[in-house]
Amino acid sequence: MSFVNFAKREVQLKIVYYGPGLCGKTTNLQFVHARLGAQSRGNLTSLATSQERTLFFDFMPLVAKAIENFTTRFQLYTVPGQVMYNRTRQLVLRGVDGVVFVADSQWNLMAENVESFKNLEENLRLQGDDLEKIPYVLQYNKRDLPEVAPTHYLDFVLNNRGVRRPRFNAVATEGNGVFETLNMIARLVLHRFVQAHSRQAGAEEELVLV
Amino acid sequence: MALSLMEEDIERLGRTMRNLLERSEADGCLLCDGGGYVLSQEGLEQVDPLLLSALGAGVFAASRELARVLGEDEFSAVFHQGEVRSIFIRAVTADVLLVIIFSRGAHAGLVKHYAAPAVAELKTAFEQVAAREHRVPHRERSFVLTQNGPLFERE
Ligand SMILES: Nc1nc2c(ncn2[C@@H]2O[C@H](COP(=O)(O)OP(=O)(O)OP(=O)(O)O)[C@@H](O)[C@H]2O)c(=O)[nH]1
Ligand SMILES: [Mg+2]
Repeated sequence: MSFVNFAKREVQLKIVYYGPGLCGKTTNLQFVHARLGAQSRGNLTSLATSQERTLFFDFMPLVAKAIENFTTRFQLYTVPGQVMYNRTRQLVLRGVDGVVFVADSQWNLMAENVESFKNLEENLRLQGDDLEKIPYVLQYNKRDLPEVAPTHYLDFVLNNRGVRRPRFNAVATEGNGVFETLNMIARLVLHRFVQAHSRQAGAEEELVLV
Repeated sequence: MALSLMEEDIERLGRTMRNLLERSEADGCLLCDGGGYVLSQEGLEQVDPLLLSALGAGVFAASRELARVLGEDEFSAVFHQGEVRSIFIRAVTADVLLVIIFSRGAHAGLVKHYAAPAVAELKTAFEQVAAREHRVPHRERSFVLTQNGPLFERE
């Protein structure tokens, strides 16, 4: 659920990076933090264990000029991928406007990818959302490793619902695909936001005519 | 769907919050929603409101979970006492939180005391926002995208 502050002329939108443990969600945010100009990004805050596994979430605000006469703020979050932290994932998903699903491309992690994707669908359902109605993109990460599944196989397993979603191959540690993924989800979320509001406005006009 | 606050809403919330700060001698306060959005803020100079709201919403949600584990179903506040500064979080509605920051000079008891009527006022305000949500004037509802290229450029 986006938030509009008309007094400050500000729109806030929430993007969540989801995916199995160690797939590279935190690494995505770290790269964006390292390579985006300081005027566009706030601090990256990580609530992690001493082994650098995400315990609660990572959080980083971004700011952009995307909507006429408004400041647009994107709040980027990652969830903890480890299976046992499901309640925490549910908390982080609250009010989400768009999702990046990061998959680990390695063959031997396919079951974890699928499980995590199902878990995302289920958690959204529990909060009354429907993944099919939410903007999301997929990122097939760790393409630099030797034993990775080909892209079409990952599509077959994870991107197989009617309309294919945008997806990117990535090596998050080197930043390949990281900005492409971010820009795509940001754009989808913005379009969805604008569309939802113009529909509402249209409906109201019709009411006036009646 | 989006939650929207108009200028008059922000002004009204701000009045209640300023009044609370004045009476309780707290330093600053902030309204955020359960998803971590900053809805409104007053007097926060040394704290980043975006981070405060992300963490505040997280802490509150985690505490609510803890309370559930203990079999508490009525759970409405979190209090963290620091050496110099402390934080008090109260639920305003099911989805809105009031986060108050105060220093040694202010009394926790006083902050909690004055938070109660403030929360009641804020609750009424949010209920009215929710009720009129679909009647927001048309001109305020049009948003135009200015950018079609990539929003964020890698340096
Ligand atoms: N080789 C390789 N390693 C990567 C890549 N992306 C991330 N890693 C490594 O994978 C490990 C886990 O990355 P994180 O970003 O912490 O994973 P995460 O998804 O946040 O994991 P959780 O917080 O446990 O859910 C780290 O050692 C990263 O350096 C990649 O593209 N290639
Ligand atoms: Mg992580």
